[in-house]
Parts: sequence; C-alpha cells; structure tokens
Amino acid sequence: MANVADAAQGQDVQVVPRPGLRGLLAQTEIDLRLFGMLAALAIILVGFNLISGGTFLRPVNMVTLGVQAAGIAIISTGMVLVIVSRNIDLSVGSLVGIVAMVYAELMANWLTSLGIGIDFPFRWAIALAIGIAVGAGFGALQGFIIAYIGVPSFIVTLGGLLSIRGLVWYLSNGAAVTGLDPTFQLFGGGAQGSIGGTLTWAVGLVGSLAVVGLLFNNRRRRRQYGFPLRPMWAEVTLAVAGSGAILGLSAFANANYWPQGLADQYAAAHGLPAGIQISTGFPDPLMILLGVTLLVTWLGTRRRFGRYVYAYGGNPDAAALAGINTRLTILKTYVLMGVLCAISAAIAVARLNAATLDVGQSYELYVIAAAVVGGTSFAGGIGTIPGAVLGAFVMQSLAYGLAYIGVDSPGQNVAAGVVLILAVGLDSWNRRRGTRTPR
Amino acid sequence: MRRTFAVFAALTLALAACGGGGTTASGGGGGGTACKVGISWNNFQQPRWAATDKPKMFEAIQAGGGTVVGDPDANLDSQRQLSDVDTLINKGAQVLVLLAQSQTAILPALQKAKDAGIPVIAYDRLIEDPYVLYITFDNVGVGKAEADFVIKKVPTGSYVLIKGDKGDPNAATFLPMGWDQAGLKDKVSSGAIKIIGPAEGTYTDAWKTEKAQANMEAIIDQANAAGQKIDAVLAENDSTALGVAAALTGKSYDPYPAVSGQDGDPANLNNVALGKQYVDVWKNSNELGKAAGQAALALCKDKDPGKVTISVDASVAPLAGNTAKDFQTPGGKTVKSIILQPTPVTAETLDKVISAGWYATKDQICKGADTTKVPACK
Repeated sequence: MANVADAAQGQDVQVVPRPGLRGLLAQTEIDLRLFGMLAALAIILVGFNLISGGTFLRPVNMVTLGVQAAGIAIISTGMVLVIVSRNIDLSVGSLVGIVAMVYAELMANWLTSLGIGIDFPFRWAIALAIGIAVGAGFGALQGFIIAYIGVPSFIVTLGGLLSIRGLVWYLSNGAAVTGLDPTFQLFGGGAQGSIGGTLTWAVGLVGSLAVVGLLFNNRRRRRQYGFPLRPMWAEVTLAVAGSGAILGLSAFANANYWPQGLADQYAAAHGLPAGIQISTGFPDPLMILLGVTLLVTWLGTRRRFGRYVYAYGGNPDAAALAGINTRLTILKTYVLMGVLCAISAAIAVARLNAATLDVGQSYELYVIAAAVVGGTSFAGGIGTIPGAVLGAFVMQSLAYGLAYIGVDSPGQNVAAGVVLILAVGLDSWNRRRGTRTPR
Repeated sequence: MRRTFAVFAALTLALAACGGGGTTASGGGGGGTACKVGISWNNFQQPRWAATDKPKMFEAIQAGGGTVVGDPDANLDSQRQLSDVDTLINKGAQVLVLLAQSQTAILPALQKAKDAGIPVIAYDRLIEDPYVLYITFDNVGVGKAEADFVIKKVPTGSYVLIKGDKGDPNAATFLPMGWDQAGLKDKVSSGAIKIIGPAEGTYTDAWKTEKAQANMEAIIDQANAAGQKIDAVLAENDSTALGVAAALTGKSYDPYPAVSGQDGDPANLNNVALGKQYVDVWKNSNELGKAAGQAALALCKDKDPGKVTISVDASVAPLAGNTAKDFQTPGGKTVKSIILQPTPVTAETLDKVISAGWYATKDQICKGADTTKVPACK
C-alpha cells in the first residue's frame, strides 16, 4: 500500500508509445484477440452478404442469427470457466435435453396433476425454477464426483452425456412433448418475444452510458493508484466507438419489424390504424444472453470465485497451497454449468414449443468449439467469457450463412470443423511467434 | 483374455449346435406342437415398437396357437443383436422376426438361421437376401402420399423441400422417388412449382428437429429477402416437420404453408389438429405387427416365403394383394415381400388414427384444437 501511495503522489504515468499501427492499437489497450475475432466475424458476415447479392445483412436475418446463437453462447460462458480450471464438461447437451423435457412435462402434464392448473399465474416461473434446480442438481452431482471423489471430469461428464440422455427417454417414453405455457414461449424470441422499440433504445442508452462511465471510472482509479493511463485520444476513441456500436445495434434491431399480418391484428385490437409498423427490437434470447454474459464475466473477473478458478487453472498446486478451497471451486463451476444449461434449455424449448428427444444433442461440441475459437486454452488458466460468446457467434454465423445460401447440414459441419482447427491453429501460431521473438 | 474368449466361443457353438438339433427334432415332430417364434428388435427408443408393433405381433402369434420364445431389444447395437439371435435360435425358435439394426451386420445371424433351416422375416427394414420374407410399409408410397396431398392442396406455387439424414436411403432415395411419382418433378419442369432454397432439398443431420428448425429459419429469411412467398413445405418425416412448424410459427408466417410429414408422432398429430401441419402420413404399425405375426405362423407350416398370405385391415392392404410378391431390392436382388399401404391423415380424417387405437391418445392429439374445424376432436 505504501508504494501505491508513493506513486500516486507523482505525475500521471503515460504508456510509452511504440511506433506504427501496432503501437497505436497497443495504446488503446484493446484486447487484440477479441479485436481479431470481431474482425473475423465481420469478414464472415460481409462475405455472405456479397455471396447472397446483398440481402444477408438485413436486421431480420441478424436477429434470427442472434437467436440461433444464444443457446450455445450462454453455455459457452460457463464452459470457459470449466476449461480454464483444467476440466471439461461433455454432458451439457444431455443436461439441456433433460431440463428441456422437465420444462415440457411440467407445463404439459405434471403441474396440472399437482393441482397447478393452466389458469394458475406464474406457471411458467414455477416450471423455470424447477428446471434450473434440476440443472443445478445434476451439475452439483457431477461436480461433487469430480472434485471430491477425484474421478476425471472427462469420464464423469462422458458418463453424464450417455446416462442423462437415457433419462430423457424415460421421462418422455420416447415421444415429443408439446403444450407449453404461452408466457414461457416468449423466451424463444419471435415478434412477441422481443423487448420492443422503446425498451431497446433504453437498453442502448444505458449501455452506452455504462461504457463511458466504466472508462471514466477506470481512468480515475488508475490515476489514484498511479498506474499508466491511456492517452486521452484513445479514451475518447474507445468511448465513441463503444457507445456508438451499442446505439447502432439498437437502431439496427429496431429496424426489424413485426410480420405485417400480426401487426395489423394488434392494430385492430388496439384501435390503431392498419399498416403500422411495430419494431421488435432486441429479442428476449439475446437479452438473456446479455444478462448471462455480464453476470458470468462479473463472477469470473470481479469475484473471489472467478479469481480462484483462474488461479487454479494457472497452477493447481500453487492454488491449493495458497489456501484456496479448490474442490469447492470446481464443484461451483459445474453447478454454474447446470444453471446455464437450464437457461439454454428454456430458450430451445420455447423456440420449438416442444421438447423432443434430441433437444441439445451435440451441443457439447458446439459449446466447446465456441469456447476454444474464443481463445480458451486447454492448458488451463487462459480464456475470456466475451471471447467465447464471440466464438459462438462466429460458429453460428457460418452455419446460418451457409444454410442461407443453400448449403445443407453436412456441408455446414465440414465448414465448422475447418474453422475450428483454423482458428486454434492461427492462435497457436501467433502465440508461438510471440514467444520466439520477445521484445 | 484370449482363453476365456475361446472357451466362451466353444460354449456358444456347442449350445448353438444343441439348439439346432432341438429345432430339427421339434420340426420333425409334426404340426401338433405350438409354433415357436423368436423376435429380435433393434431398439425400443422410438415409442411405436413397444406400444404397437410388439403387442399386435404377440396377439396374432398367440391367436394362431403360437408362442414367443423371446423378444430381446438390442438397444441400437448390431453386435448385441447377433448374440440376441443366437440366444433365440438356442431357445428353439422355428421362425425369426428380425428388425435389423444394420442391413449388413445382421448377415452372420441370417447365415446361422439358414444353416439351421429357420425361416426369417425381415421386419420393417430390408435384409438383402432372397432367403427372407420382407414385411414393411411402402416407403416410396409414403413419399407419394405426402406429395399427393400437398400438391392437391397447393397445385402451383413455391415449395421448400426438407429432407432427412443424407446417409439414410429413405431420405435420399425412396421418399424423393415417391415425391416424383406424385408429380413433383414434372410440375417443377413445367414451371407450375418453383423450389425455394436448394433445388434438391435441404438435408437434416440425423433427422434432428432443432437442425431442421435452424435450416428452415434461414430458408424463410432468404425467401423474404428475395420477396418470395412459401406456399408449401415437403418435410420427409415428423421430426423434421416439427422443426419446420416451429420455424414458421416462430416467424408468424402468414399465410401458413401446407406442411407434410410421416410417422404419426403425437406432437405432429396435434399439429395437424392445430392446422400447423397439413398432412401426416401414418403407418399403422398395429397392422404391420399383425401381418408379421400371421406370416410367422404361416412360415412354421411351410417354409416357402412365396406362399405366405396375410389378412390385414383394408386401409393398409398391399396393392399387390395379400400374398407375398417379388420385390426388387436396391441391391438388385429379388426378395419375397409384403408391402402395406400407409394412411395419409389430415385434420378432417384424424378419427382414423384415434379409432385405430394408436398410442397417441385423443387428449394428446386434440390438445388446444378448434373442435369446429376438427370433427374427430369433438
């Protein structure tokens, strides 16, 4: 503390600039990996836009793409923490499957037989709470076996992948279950399952203010502790770019309208002129993803739990010797995974308006791919949550784009596999180059 | 390890030899003894097998004075199915009914049955060998019925084709063959029907509902961007049709296109009642199980598959008559077969399914349906 106080009394410390574009970028302290991923995403989107003759980058298409990516992206935030702590979770697809079936059975059959009829308010919330508890329970069970009994996570979750999928069959006797609560269906997005134009602007405004606020706060604290400051031009650029991007996205989402038939119905019911256009704004699944990303990032970087996870991933022995309760930490990562799977399952079920036997199948592969493309390292200790979310978007934009231009599932799988290897290959190459010529 | 295996193999062989001897003895014993039928299922994952095929087959066998020596379920494992068949032969089965997990992996079991002189019924899935009697629904006919109904409803307009798994001959060959028999190809070349999306259709990994949904959403977006209206969707089966319906509903697609499917899954029959799926081509496997039970008894009396005659409900009766006929397999072999007709079901004709005692209950089928439009749900 004394040192900090000493430094604080001195002049503002500036980063020593390096020459060239790299130097300028370095001064903004932008995470180059994240920046690269954003660039890759932009290239993919623009590429499909060119191939499709300029129709791809429409708001309605991007909303579909975002909703399709949300389920995988939500789970990938937790997968980052699992992989960072040198474990793996192969059971996520089956977990999504079983919670999906629990939601559907609850709303179609079980709740009614428990005396909670269709007219009961907050039926959807009861189902959601039970589903999340089931997800957390399975996660805790697996986490306990991994952390306290010491069975390797690969084995435990591989067992989970097989046996939990089997349980899905027993729950449903093999048939799809339909008949969800209408409110629950809003989790799936669509015209009514979106937050609407006004709220979207509000979210955009709050978001851009938050960017400015965070930058300001960050600068204040750096000065307080005598850390190097970004040059002012970099701060302003970041603030303008960040808040601009958020407001731009809001405007973009608001340029997506309700299907005209539905809008006319609504207009007729509310005494509005026919032919009005109603903005959908951000769809619910994307808002859920936003919330989850912020929450898990906060848990991962600002809370003790997250610091323990990264510490354990960097060096398990050192973490244990430093007095961290490593077992409890690992157990918690799996509980978090269970909860995230339950949230993702809610979106999948709501989107399908049914639970089928194969909901969530092979999610584990897409989720791990998203985390890895997003820069999470299997060596442990390295990985960011926004990176994984971006990774999920990169993978889904490929799948959606290929389907959009008429390539079917086998072709989409080939592309996804190639991109996965390419992304990790480029990354390793970049890292090796970085260590070989240290500056 | 190796020694244990050798001992085990020897034991199995010895048992098999005993079983074979036993069968010959009882076979020689004459018609007085009950016919012993062995059944090998590849799986009970889909509900229909345990709910319809199995009980009806048992019923038909027992009604004719036969007994079932066993009906193990191989749980999608072709190796396990081989040992299941061994066990059935050892138990003295005089006829085998095989729902093969794999067309080729089942061949060693078929050879054993041949060596022991046991007739084999290939149930629902083809085994490429003239020795077997093949009992199934007309898969080309299913495709034809799907397209017949949809084309009758939407004779001109824009169609989307959603297919199943590329590796499944049903998805890639038989069902599209049926579509073309119903006139899809001709209408496309005459310009009456226009295909949106890839001309040969969009395949769906493992027939997954979520994948079909994601693909359909992309196709809808693309059609909207190009200013095209989708009038009909030919989906090959019910799991893909469910994904298609979810995509259309999620995007509040209006007017709602005519969607096809097959299997008679409860969720899809419900969609038919709700107007989200126009036609569901239903394979009444109650009758398929009954036909196989009757055929097994006939083969006990006379091992010639060509002489087998069955009697089933008129709605599914084979077009070629009730006696087994030659069937040209995709592999170029001639197999005796009994091929039942599927039953297309629309909202007006849902009572066919309900009155047949299908495993989907009336409550499931009619959930949320408008009873004025769906007579069966009153």
